[in-house]
Amino acid sequence: MPKEERYDFVIVGGGPNGVGTAAYLAKCGASVCVLEERPEAGGAVENTEPIPGVRITPHAMYMYAGPAPAFEQLELHKYGFRMDWSPQSKNLADQQLRGVATTYGLAPITDKDALGWAKISGMLTSPPFIKELLRSIFWCPPHPSEVEITAENIPYMQVYKKHQPDVWTEELLDMTMFDLMDEYLETEPIKVMHAMVAWYSGAAGHWEGVAIPALGCDITLTIYGGISVPRGGMHGYFHSIIRCAIAHGVVVRTCCPVDEIIIQDGRAVGVRLRETATTDEKRIWANKAVISDVDVKQTFTKLVGTQHLSSSFRRKVEDISLKGGSIWVSHLLTREKLRCRPKFRNPISGDDAGLGPYPCDSREIYYEHVADVDGRRGKPTMPPERLMWLSTPGDRFDAADSQCTIPGRYLASPYYTYVPPPEYTVGGPDALDKVKEEINAYLRKAFSQTIENLNDDTLVHHWANTPYESEFRNTGLIGGTWCGTRHCDDQWGENRPIPELSRYRTPIEGLYLCNQTACHPGGLALMAIPYNLMHILIEDGLAEPGKWWYPSPWYIPQQDKVSAVPRHGGDK
Amino acid sequence: MNKEERYDIVIIGAGHNGTTTAAYLAKCGLSVCMLEERPECGGAQETCEPIAGVRIQPHAIANYGGSAPGWEQLELWKYGFRMDWKAGAIVPFDTDRYMTTSDGLSQVTDKDKMGYAKITGLLTDPPFFKDLMRATFWCPPHPPHVELNEHTIPFMQVYKQHQPDMWTRELLEWTMFDLMDEYLDTEPFKVNQAWIALVSGAHGHMEGAAIPALCSVATVMPPAVAMPVAPRGNIHGYYHALLRCAIAHGAVVRTCCPVEEIIIEHDRAVGVRLRDDATWGAKKIWANKAVISAVHIKPTFLEMIGPRHLDSGFLQRIKDLSLKGGSLYMTHYLTRERLRVRPKFQTPGYRYENYGSFTGPFFPNDSRELYFENVTEVMGHQRNLTIPPERAMYGMVAGETYAECHPQSTRPGVYINGPQWMLVPTPEYNVDGMDAMEDKVKWNEYMRKALSQVVENLDSDNIVQIIGESPREQEFRNTGMLGGSWYGLRCDRDQWWNERPLPELARYRVPGIDGLYLSHQSSAHPGGLCLMAVGYNLMHILIEDGIAEPGDWWYASPWYIPEKGKKSAIPSRPSSVATR
Amino acid sequence: MKKRELVGQPHPQCFFSEFPAESDWDAVVIGAGPNGLITAAYLARAGLKVAIVERRYEIGGGLATEEILYPGFYSNMHAIYHLMVDFMPAIKDFDMERHGLVWIKPNLQTAMVFEDGGSLLLTRMIEDTMDSFHKYSDKDAVAFGKLMRNWRRIVSEILAPATYIPAMAPIDLTVAMQRTEIGREMLELVEQSPLEIVNKNFENDRIRAFLLYISCMWGLDPRETGIGFYVPLLIDRGMNKCYLHGGSHKLAGALSREIVRAGGTILESSDVIKINRHNGSVTGVELMEGRTLNSDVVISSLDPHTTFFDLMDKKKLPTDLKESVERWKYDKWSFNTLHVVSKEAPHYACGDPWVDESFMTIFGFESTKQLLAHWDNVVAGKLDKNSLGGHATCESFLDSHLVRKPGNHISFFQIHAPYNLEGGWDKRGPEIKEAMLAKWEKAAPNMKRENIVMSTQETPKDIEIRFPNMRRGSIKHGDYTPIQMGCFRPNEACSNHNTPIKGLYLCGASTYPGGLVLGGPGYLAANRVAEDLGVKKWWKPTKEMEHYIKTYLT
Repeated sequence: MPKEERYDFVIVGGGPNGVGTAAYLAKCGASVCVLEERPEAGGAVENTEPIPGVRITPHAMYMYAGPAPAFEQLELHKYGFRMDWSPQSKNLADQQLRGVATTYGLAPITDKDALGWAKISGMLTSPPFIKELLRSIFWCPPHPSEVEITAENIPYMQVYKKHQPDVWTEELLDMTMFDLMDEYLETEPIKVMHAMVAWYSGAAGHWEGVAIPALGCDITLTIYGGISVPRGGMHGYFHSIIRCAIAHGVVVRTCCPVDEIIIQDGRAVGVRLRETATTDEKRIWANKAVISDVDVKQTFTKLVGTQHLSSSFRRKVEDISLKGGSIWVSHLLTREKLRCRPKFRNPISGDDAGLGPYPCDSREIYYEHVADVDGRRGKPTMPPERLMWLSTPGDRFDAADSQCTIPGRYLASPYYTYVPPPEYTVGGPDALDKVKEEINAYLRKAFSQTIENLNDDTLVHHWANTPYESEFRNTGLIGGTWCGTRHCDDQWGENRPIPELSRYRTPIEGLYLCNQTACHPGGLALMAIPYNLMHILIEDGLAEPGKWWYPSPWYIPQQDKVSAVPRHGGDK
Repeated sequence: MNKEERYDIVIIGAGHNGTTTAAYLAKCGLSVCMLEERPECGGAQETCEPIAGVRIQPHAIANYGGSAPGWEQLELWKYGFRMDWKAGAIVPFDTDRYMTTSDGLSQVTDKDKMGYAKITGLLTDPPFFKDLMRATFWCPPHPPHVELNEHTIPFMQVYKQHQPDMWTRELLEWTMFDLMDEYLDTEPFKVNQAWIALVSGAHGHMEGAAIPALCSVATVMPPAVAMPVAPRGNIHGYYHALLRCAIAHGAVVRTCCPVEEIIIEHDRAVGVRLRDDATWGAKKIWANKAVISAVHIKPTFLEMIGPRHLDSGFLQRIKDLSLKGGSLYMTHYLTRERLRVRPKFQTPGYRYENYGSFTGPFFPNDSRELYFENVTEVMGHQRNLTIPPERAMYGMVAGETYAECHPQSTRPGVYINGPQWMLVPTPEYNVDGMDAMEDKVKWNEYMRKALSQVVENLDSDNIVQIIGESPREQEFRNTGMLGGSWYGLRCDRDQWWNERPLPELARYRVPGIDGLYLSHQSSAHPGGLCLMAVGYNLMHILIEDGIAEPGDWWYASPWYIPEKGKKSAIPSRPSSVATR
Repeated sequence: MKKRELVGQPHPQCFFSEFPAESDWDAVVIGAGPNGLITAAYLARAGLKVAIVERRYEIGGGLATEEILYPGFYSNMHAIYHLMVDFMPAIKDFDMERHGLVWIKPNLQTAMVFEDGGSLLLTRMIEDTMDSFHKYSDKDAVAFGKLMRNWRRIVSEILAPATYIPAMAPIDLTVAMQRTEIGREMLELVEQSPLEIVNKNFENDRIRAFLLYISCMWGLDPRETGIGFYVPLLIDRGMNKCYLHGGSHKLAGALSREIVRAGGTILESSDVIKINRHNGSVTGVELMEGRTLNSDVVISSLDPHTTFFDLMDKKKLPTDLKESVERWKYDKWSFNTLHVVSKEAPHYACGDPWVDESFMTIFGFESTKQLLAHWDNVVAGKLDKNSLGGHATCESFLDSHLVRKPGNHISFFQIHAPYNLEGGWDKRGPEIKEAMLAKWEKAAPNMKRENIVMSTQETPKDIEIRFPNMRRGSIKHGDYTPIQMGCFRPNEACSNHNTPIKGLYLCGASTYPGGLVLGGPGYLAANRVAEDLGVKKWWKPTKEMEHYIKTYLT
């Protein structure tokens, strides 16, 4: 291996966004090198097998990416992408019949709920515009700064105006998801349920101005394949992305931690590896650009170094809020299948420990949870019976791809609960870890509100993945926050993560960002950042895609730049 | 601000000399960037208001720069330069004057005055006072090929031309005392002048420094035995005019920009790198033509350039440069009533309310034994002062040195008096280390006792507060004042003129590093005192090197000798024709 | 003796060419505070020959960053919270970036801590503020989120741009505001007192106290109606305060460079003693040092008394003008500030460690009742040592350049205080200082004696001594009351920055829109003078201003 290497693009970090970007650029014919510090690429899209026969998914679990253009543009199916269609996904109507879990049992979902829901998620029209709605929310780069953002030009607003004009109002932009639901839905529990799913997916149900983004996070999950998963779990999905990249010539180097992004005359020209890297402290040069799939804070404070940044920019980066994304993940290995208490039994499948969110009685409970997690009180203080948590259906995997292959053992997983991000807990990161067992027990108490047989006799092992562990495993998940940085109005779209970075460019020429913490639309392994970033790289004349490329229909080119819209349209 | 910047000239340090240089170069049409680590420019030319309505000068006070070509060349008046001509500031030469000694007043005799007038160039018509000052301070040291003797040294040329009977070979060997013994009369007057010289740079007892010492006294009290004259807004007001002249000609000033490194490529200084806590981070600022260091010579070489580019012999000699003899302890007294001198010091015919307008007393002026006692105390590396306060020599500027329309205290019911200053051991030589100087209560009391020899009402009922300034604090505030030394390095013969700070650096260039020039009082002739001299002298060198091309406002020093094989700084065409 | 031989003795004066005793100008600005500097900078660049005269030895007025504690330790003795950086035209017009000015806008803007370790936060991001409100009241958290969406618009579309547009008569304003929904909403607010607004919208007493403090801290009477629009303004701006890296004085420095580059002249240490007039119109100013600056245009940034009574012949003034000046009310309260150098930054006894990073931290108040009592006390000339409170800022936390000694910190603790303190400041100053130190230590236990290296106190009297135009320690040159706001500031005749005296203009904080480093009076005065002299303006309104003009004034 030569002492120094040179590529068109050097991408720091081999998570889904880094590798997805690599795939796009390689498909444009550029030479690309991806540098991953861990022995395995994939970032938070991963599987582990802590004991033989038990496969758990410490992070990304759901397939949010359904509507992604990448499936067409990168043709992931060619590289082995397959879905496991859970029996549940056969009939979406089941969801309504199942009801919503509250402390007093399953609350019914009324027709008004169902219809209102279908309407705002774009399923009442024929053909439905749900896919278009989701693409407008996630798969379109933020507008250039010279464009004034209005109810007329925000992509999802355009979609409503076109397909569901009665939903379109100026106020929509100021609403919270609760406001939206109060208008179109009926019963409190389902509102709380959706608000919580949204919150756990990035954009919370109680934040002003992000009603539709929150809705989007929620429906990509609840309606788009959230209940089904790719074969091999999310990591299987990642395999198809990285193989697509490799097939197009991307060089992926693992065990290559980057120490420094080399900046000359204000321009990023390459990177320097840490001396512990397999290939030693060599330099890797980038002719066209360095793209960082490392979280925004480390990118600037560690890799670039504060010396290249003004004091106000430094401050803004330090201030980017990580709150509300730190999840405590429980995997429960049991001797017998977990059973719901009777009042929670699923009217359809009968027995089912996968309930979705609990308890959804009222938004008071939701807010208590918010205060607990984001109000920075340290560790959770709520009584277990009021603690909110979220579990996923046990049978979302096809029997042929079961997570637990040990006879007589059952894996119920995962159960999610938000906790304060470690950075804010008084004891620092490992404080949470110290009280791990205590919190696990506390959580099992909470789960037992709906499960009747979760006790010492049935429990074999309780794996907990704390925010600290998440951060430890994935340095990109600082504070163990899954969605990177909170998706609130001030950190969303044109403001994500801060206005001067919203179009993936940085104050440093030739340095671009593609990490969920740094880019619209954030996390969820959507293949959205690579797609959106493409528009920008085309604008800067760095990428020239072939016929396969088509831009977002709502994309607005930046003044005096190359437009990302192909002259002779894409062949979509 | 994220991109790097590029200028013709980058100047490190926005003190008096850095700013003068910036003004000169900007006026030549060069693009100049001045980098200052503190939030404020001005270096030691500053004023502060520690207590609301009470204004003090922590460092420079009087305007020594009267004879500077800068006034004409930079036209500072355009930028608001004004003086405080308080009533009685100008004391007619024939007024009766007195010196304070421990047993009362000693009158300055006519012989004193006439002698003094003669050696300071006031007996001729027209007087050559200004020539003498300019020859001493406002002329770059001669190039190495010129032999230095009574015919070539500028001030000798001046005497030879205007006061031939004073011009003798010995004059070059003399101390200021020798000179005064020759021409003056009373001991107290001599001691007084020697002591003022001592605190102004060139000491009264140093061989070969007679004229520099004499001039560093005469220049602060033009034309004769009067008193210091202060600019309006104090010495900081003078600085404002200087800075604004630079700015008006396009100089860029950047504060909060500490410089970490002078970037040297292929033996040439090409720019600087800022410390990473600068407002824009450790960005680089490039200099097309020259980097000029207006920071202290020790950090310049020991920190900003470092051993990578210098041999250890040279570095050792930089380390060895002597800071001694320039550290002053200053006190300001905030009092309820005006200070009153004891009866035996009441100057005959002096109106009481005018009392405050005295300069001094430089007390006690009894005899040179006492002077030497004080010198030994300070230079002899003793820990702290052991001399009893009644024998300690000090100077005092009463707050009312400034025009009545510009009082130092606008706080109702209190007067500010001072500064009173006293030479003290340089902290670096102080056995107890820097912190020995931190024992301020003790020092303030010592100063108070000393002043009480002359003032009768300096007691606890009258004193509201004593504001003391130790050399350590001065160094802390102005990193350029290493060891709290006011004029950077002592101005003895081995660190003066063509030996300042070292022979090979005497002409402001740095051997072995192109494009790097020195412009700090510690590294350049004639040192401190805010004379606008370093900047003016450096101009000659920069013209020689083809960096600066001044317009027809420029004139070179008449005693300047161009370096062999270089362009001359003397305008080739008649100055009426613009050179650009 | 042969004194004759000394005939040629040179007078020292002949060494220096000095600024002339008499000089001619197109415009003379009195006072080099932020507003004076802004006016001078605009006019100088517009081609006028401008002189600006400052009494103090340093320009900047309230923009002062000085070593008052110890060499190498800089304190922002006066202005530090820059509220209008997002909107101030001068910052864009003079491209302050070019001067190396960098403003920092921390996300955690203001915290309030309580004795039980509880805390409330006001942050740049609404959501972070809501999070902290949720700890006390879900209802208030939701209400805050909703309110701020609108208030942000009211501020960015109406109040902020209006700051840089000439004052309107109340009636015209009312008519104009009818045009939009937020306009009408704003009018409703005007009619309420800060206390009403806060009580109406929020239920939790701590949240009320918190928002009330932020709304009224700059001198609003919490119970007064007619100034309600300040609540959205000060809360929104309270979420967007900026700190100028290197200290507030840097703004003065940059403006002065603009003036000098454009050929203007700055004269410090010059008291103006007289504004010269010749049959009715001004002809220049006289300085105490004896110099005269001739100009047909004199722009004063001083307070009404100094401008009209001290510098002019009171008897020759139009009666109504004279009376309006006599009626003028100075600020209802001033500030008493404790500046300290400490070995550690303040660490507050509080459950939320983030509080230590706050730009401003309020403590000492547990309830609205206690807060109101404190203000009532202050207005009555009293200070209750046991129940005083205020806000503190650790400057060096944001800006390492303010401390020469690494590791040490510089902070201040500021309380509302009466100018005329019962018992007198000279006598009670020390005990107040002790009380403040004790209070601070109670909130931040590490602010104990051992930790504090140096401390000094600036009383309202000191403010007045340092800055004589802040009469009675009035940082805004005059109280914010309905009859001293808008087109009544300082009076109907002068609120558009010209005066009944030909050639005399006003550009100080006592004119519309007021103080607090808004840069409004300075900008508006420059516009007025340029229009009156028919000078071509080189600057254009900001896009917010254009939007405002389009919506409400055309």
